[in-house]
Amino acid sequence: MVVLRDGMCPGSSEEMVVALRAADITTVEDLLSSDTEDLAQKCSVSYKALLAVRRVLLAQHTAFPVSGDDLYEDLISSTAIVSTGNSSLDKLLDSGLYTGELTELAGGPGSGKTQVCFGVTVNISYQLKQSVIYIDSTGGLSASRLLQILQKICKLEEQMEALQRIQVYRVFDIFSLIDCLQSLQCTGLQRASAGGGSVKAVIVDSVSAVISPILGGKQNEGMSMMMQVAGVLKTIVKDFNVAVLVTNTVTRDCNGNLKAGLGQSWSHVPRTRIILQRFESPGSTCSSLRTATLAKSSRQPCLLKEEFDLQCWGRSEDQLYEVSGKRKLEKNSPY
Amino acid sequence: MRVVFLTEMTTTIAKMMENGAQLFARLDGRRSLKDIEPHIFPDGAGPVQGDVVEFHGTEGSGKTETLFHLVSHCILPVDRGGLEVEVMFVDTDYHFDMLRLVTVLERRLGEEAREEDGVAAAESEVQVRACLARLYVVHCSTSVQLLLTLHHLESTFCSRPALCLLVIDSISAFYWVDRSGGGESVAKQEANLRRCSELLERLLRDCRIVVFATTHAIMRNYRHSGQASTASLTPAAAETSSSSSWRQWSSTHASDFDRPYLSRAWQRLVTHRLLFSKGEVTQDKKQLFSAACTTTRTVGAKCSSFCVMEGGVQFL
Repeated sequence: MVVLRDGMCPGSSEEMVVALRAADITTVEDLLSSDTEDLAQKCSVSYKALLAVRRVLLAQHTAFPVSGDDLYEDLISSTAIVSTGNSSLDKLLDSGLYTGELTELAGGPGSGKTQVCFGVTVNISYQLKQSVIYIDSTGGLSASRLLQILQKICKLEEQMEALQRIQVYRVFDIFSLIDCLQSLQCTGLQRASAGGGSVKAVIVDSVSAVISPILGGKQNEGMSMMMQVAGVLKTIVKDFNVAVLVTNTVTRDCNGNLKAGLGQSWSHVPRTRIILQRFESPGSTCSSLRTATLAKSSRQPCLLKEEFDLQCWGRSEDQLYEVSGKRKLEKNSPY
Repeated sequence: MRVVFLTEMTTTIAKMMENGAQLFARLDGRRSLKDIEPHIFPDGAGPVQGDVVEFHGTEGSGKTETLFHLVSHCILPVDRGGLEVEVMFVDTDYHFDMLRLVTVLERRLGEEAREEDGVAAAESEVQVRACLARLYVVHCSTSVQLLLTLHHLESTFCSRPALCLLVIDSISAFYWVDRSGGGESVAKQEANLRRCSELLERLLRDCRIVVFATTHAIMRNYRHSGQASTASLTPAAAETSSSSSWRQWSSTHASDFDRPYLSRAWQRLVTHRLLFSKGEVTQDKKQLFSAACTTTRTVGAKCSSFCVMEGGVQFL
């Protein structure tokens, strides 16, 4: 709803706004949906002036069509693929997180979502030397854990540089999340980053922690706020050309299969979805092995499964090769 | 002086002729999409000028893939099996995946041109660009912006007779935000969608285009199965094909998430309804999808199933 005010555009004077309000026209959409001639007669406003105001308001608030050719040209010149640092995850995601897209990581408690977020953050800030914005809503982020991962792979000065490229925001309810995202959108992501490099990824861990408490019951505000969060995230993704990674919980559907939480309306929001689970191996109780299943993708066939180790981000190249060589995946294992 | 007078006359005549052509194009010149996809639409009941096709289904049920299949069929040139018409794509939830559309186009162009191998790559790039030049994409982030954009597009449609198809993906994107913004009054909640529907009605009547719109299936249908079966036991009602009975019929064959929830003004506009659902996974790990099409002009539903390959939708 865009309310009509005087001074909105050249020609919309105080008298015109008052006259229109008397005829029950208070918003821009009311003005554009009504017949100009009738309105000019009813409000005794000049037809030409009304037509001019109408044209200017339409130009101000409309979105303009772009030719598919130009859009494609923009896309191929600006899309980048951000590697996650783990070859199994990269294989599932078709070489990494794509900028301009929203990727979702869903999993139960202890399935490793936060560790994957840490690994991706460290990879982007150290290996790729780009900035990351990390929005933490669970309190799970600890700088000492990030430092621990970095200490195994680089020297002291590089560690500090890498940490400086990670910008952290802590939000603990939906209002502060929307506030944080909207201020990022308004001020631009570049100002938020420090320590050089452009922002390549925004990680929100986790989006279900702030949204689940407001869903349910007969009220609609929860759903509306969830869709507003989705809207702002998508605007950030498109306008600033970054990759957004969000984490979510899981529930079971009527057939007993795992699916992402937050319901049907949220399920349309991410472009790609990966479900994390603990690796069921007899004997080991607290192993760091996980399986990742591709649940939604526009580039790969779904239900692809990969195994990986959560500790892979803190290992050097030689150690990684040795570890992955030992473990052969059962690609055709039953679900 | 005589020469100048003649040139003035010819320019005015040229202008008049142009206007005549535009008028003709506006009245009856738009290309018909009747035979766009015989697999999905019932025989002889494909979408003609003035029809609205609703793609309804849960997440991941193949709506966007089918939409890309149909859009690519529209923008491909005639000598490659397409219709060579222009398409306006209104994207309301930043869902439009250009890279996927380009992959589908490349595959379809590549299929026809397999014999001419050498120049194929560069030529196919040029052809893809030529196809994309027939596509226009608009992004809208609120329902007010959608309404105002449709107002603006009215003049675009009237002046371009090659624009035959308007795609809105998806028209239900602002449902929750509008519902909460409208407070307690249902009329206020549905106001923007009602206005968009009235505007679309005017566009359909004046410019004779076809509209494809996707709607997310987000409302669970809690209708008891007993009620559903009594609805199907009234063949008389099904045969009269009035707008309410064909909708009842379609929901007895639907999945759980088929409750119509958008405003009545929109539901009255819809002439063809495609219900998408996910099928089972075949032995060679292919996910099957099915689409059931019901229209206001035919009785019963036409069911088709397809799977999604790298080159797009493949019907079985």
